[in-house]
Amino acid sequence: MIEVGSLKARMESTPGGLKTEEYFVNMGPQHPSTHGVLRLVLKMDGETVREVIPVLGYIHRSIEKIAEHLNGRQIVHLTDRMDYLSSAMNNWAVSLAVEEALQIELNPRIETIRTIVAELERIQSHLLWWGVLGIDLGAVTTFFYGFRDREMITDILEETTGARLTLNYIQPGGLMFDIHPHFVKRVKEVLAHLKIKICEYETLLSENVILQNRLRNVGILTSEKAISMGSTGPVLRGSGVALDLRKQKPYGVYGSVEFDVPVGSVGDSWDRYWVRVEEIRQSMRIIEQLIDNIPEGKFMVMKPAKKLTLPKKSYFGQVETARGILGVYIQGCEKEEPHRVHFRSPNFNNLWVITQIAPGGKMADLVATLSTLDLVIPDIDR
Amino acid sequence: MAVEENSFLLTTVDALVNWSRANSLWPLAFGTSCCAIEMMMASTAARHDIARFGAEVVRPSPRQADLLIVAGTIVKRMASRLKRLYEQMPEPRYVMATGSCTIAGGPFYYNSYTTVRGIDEIIPVDVFVPGCPPRPEGLFYGLLVLQRMIKEGESVAQPGVRRKPVMAALPPAMTLKDIQKEIAALLVERSEVKTRGVSPNRIWEERA
Repeated sequence: MIEVGSLKARMESTPGGLKTEEYFVNMGPQHPSTHGVLRLVLKMDGETVREVIPVLGYIHRSIEKIAEHLNGRQIVHLTDRMDYLSSAMNNWAVSLAVEEALQIELNPRIETIRTIVAELERIQSHLLWWGVLGIDLGAVTTFFYGFRDREMITDILEETTGARLTLNYIQPGGLMFDIHPHFVKRVKEVLAHLKIKICEYETLLSENVILQNRLRNVGILTSEKAISMGSTGPVLRGSGVALDLRKQKPYGVYGSVEFDVPVGSVGDSWDRYWVRVEEIRQSMRIIEQLIDNIPEGKFMVMKPAKKLTLPKKSYFGQVETARGILGVYIQGCEKEEPHRVHFRSPNFNNLWVITQIAPGGKMADLVATLSTLDLVIPDIDR
Repeated sequence: MAVEENSFLLTTVDALVNWSRANSLWPLAFGTSCCAIEMMMASTAARHDIARFGAEVVRPSPRQADLLIVAGTIVKRMASRLKRLYEQMPEPRYVMATGSCTIAGGPFYYNSYTTVRGIDEIIPVDVFVPGCPPRPEGLFYGLLVLQRMIKEGESVAQPGVRRKPVMAALPPAMTLKDIQKEIAALLVERSEVKTRGVSPNRIWEERA
């Protein structure tokens, strides 16, 4: 990777002055601030980052290949383990594709519960991100607060779905189980709690001068670059592009609820921070509109069948996860196992943004930028 | 003066050394995927506190750690890195494998061309914690089992010789009869295993 000859030639051609030597640093694959096993090869000049080269594959579990040996219903549990912080949304994407193939009409109860669970998942994902952002920048308190409130949501999800993280709840044709009798009550409690706490968090972290200095005008991503890199989710919205599938191409019951899409203006780390904190509020708003009137009905409309064969066509389901647009492409071949399954994961595109925005900045800013991109590495490698 | 293997002096020293080792396990957090979130939850976050068991100092560096908590799937590309991290840790070192991926490949067992089917193919493991991912309580239980193993198992006379790997919980989807049978078998096994002079697992010896 290190081209000694070219480096030497470049140094010798520098006219006069103090000569500096560029060197390479391996960040990862076992590094606490890369949030997993991401490896970044950094070309450094002193403290300044000259080039970032992401090296992938350290958690490549060949999910796409495994999915080629499973039927439409069995793929769902694998998507839990991709982006484990928005597992409900991942399940939903697969379900959308399979439902498109089998032409299943869902009842409003299923759609409503799916939306509520997905939004709860989004809130807990953003809370975790908020806590970990603090730790990355040296503030440990946020970690405790973020996890405390996140735990309240995981408790609700556990009661209903039986799992804390990998829910496997949204299935093709409906839901795995009906909601727990305490679901509505507990969600209301959490919403009332969070409403106060979000304001508290704003005063604790958002209005902190150190945080503002660390994030403002750091890692600026222009909207053109964001679009050309294919980034989605809060990263794209932080750059001022109001692309949100929940608005543009509503699935579930997003078409009938009111919410705003927060959009940044500059595209720096602060904008991405602000967009996520605001999204927590908007998710709460969505749940508040739905939680009081969950319609009656069945929670599963698909009949249990031994075989699930997809017709010979290609299907695409996409949802807005907590990190961006997840697309699931399934190509059926009149057999139980699909011919090809492909996931268009949001984190993959969001990661490559770092190669554009980090060069020229300092090493410490790279950590802050990485943190605001909110990467989940198993979703990148799959 | 030669000290006999089971002398009063050595057993007392054993007890003291093992007690202090068991209660000051500094974990090396090696989180690769979902289990890492539950490990974070268990170790330092709001509801649970691993400091109760003397393991609060989570280190990202292997040089300062005693306990390697492998949380998440290990794929072939990562395997050599995991082995190197393990080798960099100072003795005595302990390994806790959390999650079904580290035990046997978990949901990625079939048809995967990259997953390592159980990290005991790479490094020796002391405690397996099942679950996908295991709850924080499960992790604690695994830690308690490890502490008990350390307190009972190792002797100054035979350093490095430990008891064979332990599964820190019963597997799910078992009937009551199965559990009773399992517990009875475990009790018999436990009663036969002696703390001193225990014959170490053959596979263990080969790997270590």
